[in-house]
Parts: sequence; structure tokens; C-alpha cells
Amino acid sequence: MSKSFLDKLKDIVTDEQVLTAHSELIPYESDGLTAFKALPRAVVLPNKQSEVISIVRLCHEHSVPFVARGSGTSLSGGSLPNERGIVIGLNRLNSILDLNIEERYAVVECGVINNDVSEASKHYGLHYAPDPSSQLVCTIGGNVAFNSGGAHCLKHGMTSNHVLGIKAVLPDGTVVQIGGHSLDSVGPDLVGLFVGSEGLFGIALEIILRLVPMPEGFRTLLAAYPSMEQAGDAVSSIIDAGLLPTAMEIMDNLTIKAVEATVHAGYPTDAGAVLIVELEGEIVEIEEEFKCLRKIIYESGAYNVTSANNQNERALIWKGRKGAFGALGKISPAYIVQDGVVPRSQLGSALAEIDSLSEKYGIRVANVFHAGDGNLHPNVLFNNSDEEMLEKAELLASEIVQMCIRRGGVITGEHGVGMEKREFMNDMFSDKDMDQMLILTDIIDPHQIANNDKVFSRSRVPGI
Amino acid sequence: MQHNIEVNNVGPNGQIMADAVKSCVHCGFCLPACPTYRVLGQEMDSPRGRILLMKNVLEGTLSLNEANPFIEKCLGCMACVTACPPSVPYGDLLVSFREYANETNVKYSFFDKYLKKFMYAIMPYTARFRFVVYIGIILKSLRNFLPLKLRAMFDLLPASFPVNEKFPETVYAIGNKRARVALLQGCVQSVLAPRINQATIRVFARNGIEVIVPQGQGCCGALTYHAGLSDSSRNMALQNMKVFPKDVDAIITTAAGCGSAISEYSRLFQDTPQYEMAMDFSGIVEDAISFLDGLGIVDEVIVNEDREIAYHDACHLSHAQGIRNAPRRLLHHIPRLKIVDIMDGEICCGSAGIYNLEHPEVANKLGVQKAVNIIKTGVDYLVTSNIGCMTQIEVSLRAMNSNINVKHIMEILDDAYRGEF
Amino acid sequence: MFYPQSIEEIQRVVVESHAPMVVRGGGTKPGLLNHNDSVTTIDLSDVSGILEYRPEECTFTALAGTRLNDIEEVLSDNDQWMPFDPPMVDKGSTLGGVLAAGLSGPCRYGFGGVRDFVLGISWVSGDGNLLNGGGRVVKNVAGFDFPKLMVGSLGRFGIITEITMKVFPQSQAFATLEWDCLNIEEAVKFMKLLSLSKIEFLALDIESNGIVRVRIGGIQNSLQKRLDSIARYKNGAVIFKDREESEKWSSLRNFCWLDDSCMLIKVPITPDIVCRLDSKLSHYEALRLYSVGGNVAWIGWMDSIVKLDKILENLGLTGLLLLGEYNTPWLGTSAFDNVFAAKVKAALDPKNRFMSL
Ligand SMILES: Cc1cc2nc3c(=O)[nH]c(=O)nc-3n(C[C@H](O)[C@H](O)[C@H](O)COP(=O)(O)OP(=O)(O)OC[C@H]3O[C@@H](n4cnc5c(N)ncnc54)[C@H](O)[C@@H]3O)c2cc1C
Ligand code: SF4
Ligand code: SF4
Repeated sequence: MSKSFLDKLKDIVTDEQVLTAHSELIPYESDGLTAFKALPRAVVLPNKQSEVISIVRLCHEHSVPFVARGSGTSLSGGSLPNERGIVIGLNRLNSILDLNIEERYAVVECGVINNDVSEASKHYGLHYAPDPSSQLVCTIGGNVAFNSGGAHCLKHGMTSNHVLGIKAVLPDGTVVQIGGHSLDSVGPDLVGLFVGSEGLFGIALEIILRLVPMPEGFRTLLAAYPSMEQAGDAVSSIIDAGLLPTAMEIMDNLTIKAVEATVHAGYPTDAGAVLIVELEGEIVEIEEEFKCLRKIIYESGAYNVTSANNQNERALIWKGRKGAFGALGKISPAYIVQDGVVPRSQLGSALAEIDSLSEKYGIRVANVFHAGDGNLHPNVLFNNSDEEMLEKAELLASEIVQMCIRRGGVITGEHGVGMEKREFMNDMFSDKDMDQMLILTDIIDPHQIANNDKVFSRSRVPGI
Repeated sequence: MQHNIEVNNVGPNGQIMADAVKSCVHCGFCLPACPTYRVLGQEMDSPRGRILLMKNVLEGTLSLNEANPFIEKCLGCMACVTACPPSVPYGDLLVSFREYANETNVKYSFFDKYLKKFMYAIMPYTARFRFVVYIGIILKSLRNFLPLKLRAMFDLLPASFPVNEKFPETVYAIGNKRARVALLQGCVQSVLAPRINQATIRVFARNGIEVIVPQGQGCCGALTYHAGLSDSSRNMALQNMKVFPKDVDAIITTAAGCGSAISEYSRLFQDTPQYEMAMDFSGIVEDAISFLDGLGIVDEVIVNEDREIAYHDACHLSHAQGIRNAPRRLLHHIPRLKIVDIMDGEICCGSAGIYNLEHPEVANKLGVQKAVNIIKTGVDYLVTSNIGCMTQIEVSLRAMNSNINVKHIMEILDDAYRGEF
Repeated sequence: MFYPQSIEEIQRVVVESHAPMVVRGGGTKPGLLNHNDSVTTIDLSDVSGILEYRPEECTFTALAGTRLNDIEEVLSDNDQWMPFDPPMVDKGSTLGGVLAAGLSGPCRYGFGGVRDFVLGISWVSGDGNLLNGGGRVVKNVAGFDFPKLMVGSLGRFGIITEITMKVFPQSQAFATLEWDCLNIEEAVKFMKLLSLSKIEFLALDIESNGIVRVRIGGIQNSLQKRLDSIARYKNGAVIFKDREESEKWSSLRNFCWLDDSCMLIKVPITPDIVCRLDSKLSHYEALRLYSVGGNVAWIGWMDSIVKLDKILENLGLTGLLLLGEYNTPWLGTSAFDNVFAAKVKAALDPKNRFMSL
């Protein structure tokens, strides 16, 4: 990076906003996936949108790569710095610009924390529905980049289903407004395309989010099963019965133990698996649904069923689930979280296959996942100071991904491709499909600077 | 998180630090909970960032002097521990690291170095501190001529010198005696706000608790402990162990910071011959609030007016000791009292030991935020449980021209009993 | 006009044809077709059929020319449905058509639109390649979301050939309530009140004459209780159930309320603009239905389309002409006249083999 680039950067923002010292860069070396790390040339922390726009323009002018970073909780290396470039930290762009209750939308800056949107609207009986487990910390910008999901997206949908409009600065510095305030639209769904583009299309500055009324009531139950397979089958039975719970989550014994060792959510530690099912809606309706649900649960072989009788008990059940990833830190210094999706009806057998893979490699795998939509989260636990084990863990993780594809599923349900799953893209898409995506990226980002080393390994030139 | 720390090369607490680093999964859940991250908006000033910095220093890939300014800016409020899913023992890591830094002769700016020396040589010693406060109050009018950091010090002083009432060595319980406790007066508190201990004694007595106030007691070691100065902390702690009787139901502290430091004696005295003794001592130390809550209030409180108060959770009570419900339950003994929630209530007010002297910019911002959120509640009384918070909040409120009363819970109870609330 | 019988044939036609291409599905939305003779129209009605339906997965894959009523029939045999409530099903709309036009019906309010249910897509690009995006499972973030991009694209990026959709279990029972609020202002006020309530309405429509109409669905046992409590929101609720109820909605989403001579325009709006738009439209001969909780206006227009174009432009709205003839299907201000759209078009259809945006 030429000196003049940094100087120009400091013309845009104050010196304090540009971090270049070793001690200032280290804290930005990784996101939530610490297996990857890299130091950027600089980190810049804009305070307002106009600064972001100027920074992107400068990067474009100098062909300096940039990586947008929200809270750095990506689990796929999405906000991993590029050694040749800069990190643009967007956490300071955190104002909720407009909270329109009557029209049920919020206009927020990209650095606003997911949960803060719901906090701000809860006084009016509304909330922002997508709830990644990281909702207390992850930013809306990061959610948009990854089309993040959450436990409750079974009924409510993912980020994409709740974003109405986006103001973005494209990698060449142009500012565009796509979508709007309405729930519906005409013309190609550009917002739909932007959401989930993993930062390759530039930086979302301002996002218009849909707010929905908080449900009148919840019914949450926790069912313990002797085996994962039974829990998986219960999920299918629930769907077959025509119920549409808002969440269905499964945790295996290893995860249950880790959770109980940290957050003490009251899960039975002897269970082979626990299944959390939550219904929400009008109270009279969910009471009826709950009767039906209980019946299915009991018939499915659950040996211990508890249901939450109040908000505190419900919060406790969820506390365990939401803290599960973190809790795994207690039982393993490092882990790779996989995020593949399999057809729901294959959950039971897919889990059995993961089990036997785990045995084959002699590496523990902890499962905690969104069962309702077949989105697995096998956590491959390892110790990466042990070279051999790291290698094995990576092989195991990759076999799990391959298995998902083989079963007609996909490589990532919500965490994104990022750095980590780049090499699996070819297993899902044909060369021609990949070319189309690369061409699109190249046209939007002619200098290949916007998070460009993610999603695709650029070893292939389109069309060759 | 994986690390390459050579545990034997980084001092006696190497293992403790390495284990803490190892249990951090870099998930970032602690970020929004951290006051310095909220104010400064950069990873170096977040728990996750600090852990990475400490890790790199301990691994030898980053110089201590480069990293230390960011570690210094940590309030030690432990909000990150509350927010952390794998409960990384951040407090252990921080104190151990500070100790390591002190032993490795970390460089401070000239000013900071002497400020620290001065404060740690004065504050824990009641007589010295009383004298300095006395002089300070007289010189307060000169504040405008001083650098920011010194100015902050003057701002925190009370307007007039508090009357220092001597306690009888034993205050007998009124009515049926239900318990007997010894009171740890606290070094700073006994100078700046002796009224808190006075109130505590009266409230306890009314509720059948006999209170003894051992002579010759001193600082519990909290101030220096949290700064990583273990040797002097140990000496202070030993002095108290000598003068406090063992045949009491509890040793009572009324400052959350003391309670939290004493609960860490197990680490402070690890591998020392006095370990057993320290554990016996710390085992019976309890905050006045949780003790009274546990025993139960028997003397009924009568008030004639509806009141709204806001309760501020002192970090060293809530985050460090997990005491959140007891103070609220106690307050609910006052009839017709409504407790209003403070927005971002779990965020530190910026006090934290001598933090408001060392990092006045950060402390001021936190103080202002806290004051704004308190004013928003519209209450007349702000109630809390730690002298540091009380001073910081009072100064911040006054700076915004608010005359909301700032009181310790024991004072409120005492006032209520005396019909003055 | 070409009538390819298979995807391979579509590819061949694309490679061989030189004129810009327009795709026709069921032909139910003539406003979207270009009437210019110099274009090649490709009719997909023979490229039809459900390729895979997995009720246990709540997904199906079908060729673009598959008629929606065929799909609905198969789904309902399994007590499932497409809750985005596709319009004009009875008139012979196809899956590809409804997706390319980006049309959803009244229950979009409760469940989301066609964009929220599309999982995967295959299309033939301008140089005849068969491309894929998305997947066949209900959750997926790998690669760019081309399936969503194609929603509303009117085939201007490529010829959609195959679509995978998510479906939901059908509710056991439905019911509908109607109130007469006498005028649009009162109706909008009441609608806003309902939309902030905790009731999970499937549909929330208002008409220009002040009728407010809501639909609920769910378990039979609780339906009456829910109806009773909703009816308390305002006196004078008229309740519809069973066949009468389903026919009501079916006639709404099939636009039976339009005269044959009427043009039909869809306009995405927000609730706060309903009254202003309605007062403008009331000066003309126009039927107005405001659907999806005040987020979509369906306008039956009988006057000159140029006038409507102007009205929408003045209000900063964009409309889509579905029935009727005009030189463009897009009315009012252009919603996607921006660099991003242009770049996407340039990347997907570099040789402009399809109509421009
Ligand atoms: C414990 C834990 C639990 C999690 N649970 C879930 C879960 O349940 N569901 C789920 O989906 N994910 C989950 N995640 C993953 C992660 O939280 C999400 O991917 C989240 O959306 C990332 O947000 P962030 O603000 O941290 O973004 P970052 O990690 O900072 O960035 C993520 C990506 O977004 C890009 N980006 C950031 N801001 C912008 C912007 N303004 N414009 C364009 N691109 C931008 C970055 O370049 C990067 O590629 C979890 C992570 C952790 C650590
Ligand atoms: S102790 Fe407080 S200031 Fe220090 S890192 Fe933790 S939360 Fe931040
Ligand atoms: S919350 Fe705990 S585990 Fe997560 S980054 Fe912070 S300290 Fe590490």
C-alpha cells in the first residue's frame, strides 16, 4: 500500500480513526472462526456514512481491497481481513434512523445490533423477527451480507424475508437505493439478490427492515430423547401433522453437557438428544396446537417433557440453546462449525452418518441445530496445536459437507460460504453457474476489491 | 481459542492466564456488554480484543508496552463475564496479567506512574487519605488550573468534609438478637461517606443484628488487587485477618468493591502459607445487602408517600458477585415504593476504583451516559450499593444540573425507618 | 411464436433466434408481453409438469410452464398449499409466469410473497446455457440468490425453465370478517389498528368504498373463539365461512371483480399513501382494491393509461401493467433505474438477447 493511500485515508477521517499499529490490528485478525487469521494493512473506523462512501471510492481508485466488518461474529471467515487491504469497521454506524410504528418498518444504519432493533420497537408491541443466536452482538449489515437465519426462521423466514430496502455503496463508489418501504415490489428483486451477497457487492449503509407484531403468546417445550434419531424423526412427525412451529431445535448429548456446565439451563444431561419446539401466536390457537404437539411428542418416544409455564422458564430453555456455541468453548479449545442443510426427512440418517464419521476419525462432533429446516450445525471439536488432529478435523468437516450435497442438500444454510467453504462451491454449482456468478461480481466490482477473496476461490477465470 | 503460551515463562499465574485464553471462543458476545467498547467503538478496547492482546503478549508476539494502554483502559467491571457464554474467567486473566505487567516493569507515562504511586500510597490508608481529602477540599477552587486528570480527582471530592463519627466497638441489637456480625468499614468509604456505615449499623440493630466494629482494621486490598499489586494487597488483607474475630456470623462490607475483592482471596493467597486462613476469612465475608436479605427484615418500615426510585446495579455486586435480586427485594420492604429500571442498567458508570482518575475521558462519557439514563427515569432518588458508583454518579448528575438524591440502600432503609424518606 | 417442447429446445431456439426474446407463460397477463412484431415470443405452455413433489419436505419442483391450478390440485391432495396465494390461477397462470411477474395474492400479508417461497431456479441464458441458482432445500445461502432476483424480472435476464418452491401445510379451517367503515379514511385507520394487533391475519384488504376484510385460518376448534374476539374490535362485522368464504377470496385473487375491458395495474405502496392515491384515482373510472395491509394497490383502470402513468409518477410510485396494452409494462417512476440494476442486467444478459429493463 503506497503511503499516499494511507494519507488520503487520513484526509477522509481523523488520524484516530485509522488504526495501523500492530497492537491495534491484532484484535481484528479473525472473526468468529479463529482457525483463520490475517492482519490487514489498516483498520478504518468511519463515524458516518459519508466517510464510508469516500473510503470505498478511495479503495476503488487505488484498487485496494477492503473487507467490511460489523461485529466480527461470522463463522465462515467472512470478515477475515485481506492482507493487502483494509478493514472497514462499521460498528460505529449504529443509529436507528427511523422507527415507523404505524407502517411497521425501521430504517437502520448497518452497524445497528440486531437485538437493538427489537428492543427499540418492543414498547410498541413490534419486533424484528430474524434472531440469530448471536443477535445480541451481530449487526444488521452482517445479517444482510449473510442472509442470517435464526431459531425462529422456520416460521418467520431469514433476514432476506425481512429486508425491504437497502442503500448501498457499490465497490466502485456509486451509491444506490434498492427496494423501498413497501412489503411488495415490482421489477426484479434486487434486494433479494443483494441480501446474502457476503459483502461482494459493496457495503450496505442503510437498511429498511420490516417489523412484525410480537405474538400474543408462546408455548415452548423441551423434550428429551434417548437418541438423536428419535428426536429427528419427531421433527418430521410434527411437520406431517400440519403444525407450523416457529422453532424446532435439537441438541445432542455432548452439547447438552457443555451447556449445563456453563449456563445451567436445566437440560437433562443423560439425554441422547433434546428437542425444543416453540409455538407462537394467538393464545387460543396455540393452546389447541399445543395439545396436538404434546401428543406427537409423547408418541415419538420422548421420555422427559417439560414445558415453560412463564416467560422466565421460556427464557431459560432458550438461554441454553442460544449459549450453546459459546459453551462448546468449555469442552474444546477449537472447533469448526459446519452449516450444511439436508432434506428434513433425512435428518435421522444424516445424524447417524455424522456419528459414524466422527468415530472413523476419532474426533468428537457436537450437534446443535435448526432441525425444522434441516439445517445442521455439526461442531467438529479439535485441538489445533495438534497438526495431525487439525488436518483430520478439516477432512471430517469436509466429509460432512459432501454428505449434505450427496443427500440433495446444500453447503451452508445461514453462515455463508466466506473463506471456509469456498472449495465446496464447485460441488454445488456447475462451471457455468460459477461463471455466471463470477461475471456478475466482476461487473459490479471491476477492480475486485470488495471482500473479493471470499465465496469463490479465484483460481478460475470465468469461461476457462 | 488456541494459543501458544509457554505457561512457565510468564510468571506464577501462567496456567490461569492460559486457561482463560483457551476458553475464549472469540464469539464477541461480550462486545455490547463492555462499557469501553461502547464508548470507544474499537476492538482493542473490548474484552475480546483485550484477550487477544494479552494472548499475543504472553505468546511473545506483541510487546507489553504496546498492548498495555488498552489493558489499562479496562474498568474491571466484569460485565463481560456476565455476557460470556463459556464464562471465560476474564477477571482472573486481567488481574494476573496486570500483575505480570507490573513485574515485567511495564512502562507508564511519567504522569500516570506517579498518579498511580500516589493514589496507591494514600487511598488504602484511612488517615493519610483523610488528610489528603481535607487538603483537597480546601484547594478545590484551584481545579481549573490543573491538567484534566488532576481536575477529575478534585471533582470527585465532596463539597465539605464529612463528619467522622467514631463508633462504639459494639452496637447491640434492638429486641431479640438474631445475629452477630463484624463490620468492615472500607478505606475510602469511611472517609468520604461514613454515613453509610452509620446507617448500616442502625438498620442492622433494628433488625436484631449486633454489630461490632473491630479497631485497627484497614483496607481489604481491593484497590491494589484490581491493579495487579498482589503483594501489598496481601499485606493489607493479613492485617484485617488479624483484627477481625472469627466468632461472628458474618463479616459485613457495605462497598461492593471490597466484597468482590475479598471473594478473590483464594487466588490472591494461592500457594501461600496463609491460604487456609484467608479462605476462612473470605468465607464469612458478605455484603450487607445480601446478608440482611438472607436473614430477612423484621422491623416494619412505614412511609406515608408514594415514591419512585431507580436502583443502579454496582458492577462489583451484580457482575462480579451475581447479586441482583437481593437489593431489589430489600427495597421492596419499603411500602409504596416503585423501582424504575434504568436503561442500559448493566453498564458501568465509569467509577471502577481509581479509573475515573486514570481515564477521565472514558469515565466522563460513561458517567454522562449513566446520568442521562437516570434522569430519563424521572425519579427523585438513585439508590445503589457502592461508594465508588455513588461518587461518580453524583458528580455526573450534578454536572448536568440534576439534583436527584444519590443514596446507598442502607441509607434509604435508615431514612425510611426514621421517617425521613 | 415458438412452442418449445423441452428445455433443450428452448436452448436451441435461444441460440438460433436473433431478435430479442419475450417469454409467454399462460398468457394471462398480456400487459407484460410486447406486442411489437420484431420480437421472438417463446411460449412455455408445453414445457410443463411437476418434476418432484416431496410433501414431507414441503417442497416441489416444476417446469416453468406448469399451470398453477394443476399444482394446487396436487398440493391440496396432501393438505398443502402455496400460501403466497398466487393470483389468476383460474385463468390459467403458470408457475413461471407468476414468478417472473412477481405476483402474490392476499395471503401475502400473513405468509410472505412468491419471493419468500422460491428456493431454486434454472434458466436459459442469452447464449443458450442452462444455469442454476439456489437449491432444493428450504434453507440455503450458498451462492447468490438468483431465485429471488428472477422474481419480477419479467424474463429479462433469461428464460426461467424450472422452479423449486417451498409450500406450507394448509390450515384446517378459514374464516373471514368484513366491516363497512363507510369511507377510505376510516378504513385505513381501522386497518392500521388491526395490523398492530396480535391477531395473525392471513389477509388484510380494504376497498375504496371503506370495506375492511380480514382472513384468518387455523385449527377448527379455536376458530369460533378467535372470530368472536376479532369481531369485538368493531361493531358490525359480517362473518363468512366455508365455501362462501373460499369463493370470496378466490374471486378476489382471480380478479373476477374486473370488467373485461378493464386494465389491471399492480402498484406497491405503503399504508400512509392509500388515502392520497385513492383520492387521486377517485376522479377517474377506476376500481381500487388495497391489499396486503395497505402494501399493494390493485387498480382496475378504464381511462387512458397515460393518465395513470402520470398520477403514479407524481406520487413517486411504480406500477406494473398486467392487463391492457402500453409501450411498457412499467408505469410511474422507475423503481430500478439504477446502476446496480444496470450492472446485473449487463452481467446476466450481456448481449441484450432479452428485452431491456
Ligand atoms: C455464537 C454465535 C452464534 C451464531 N448464531 C448464528 C445463527 O443462529 N444464525 C446465523 O445465521 N448466524 C449465526 N452466527 C454467525 C454470525 O453471527 C452471523 O453471520 C452475523 O450475521 C454476522 O454479523 P456481524 O455483524 O458479526 O458481521 P461480520 O462477521 O462482521 O461480517 C460478516 C460478513 O458481512 C460482511 N459485512 C458486514 N457488514 C456489512 C455491510 N454493512 N455491508 C456489506 N457487508 C457487510 C462482512 O464483510 C462479512 O463478510 C453466529 C455466530 C456466533 C459467534
Ligand atoms: S471488565 Fe468491563 S471494561 Fe473490562 S473488558 Fe470486561 S466489560 Fe470491558
Ligand atoms: S463472550 Fe467470552 S468467549 Fe466470547 S469473545 Fe467474549 S470473552 Fe471470548
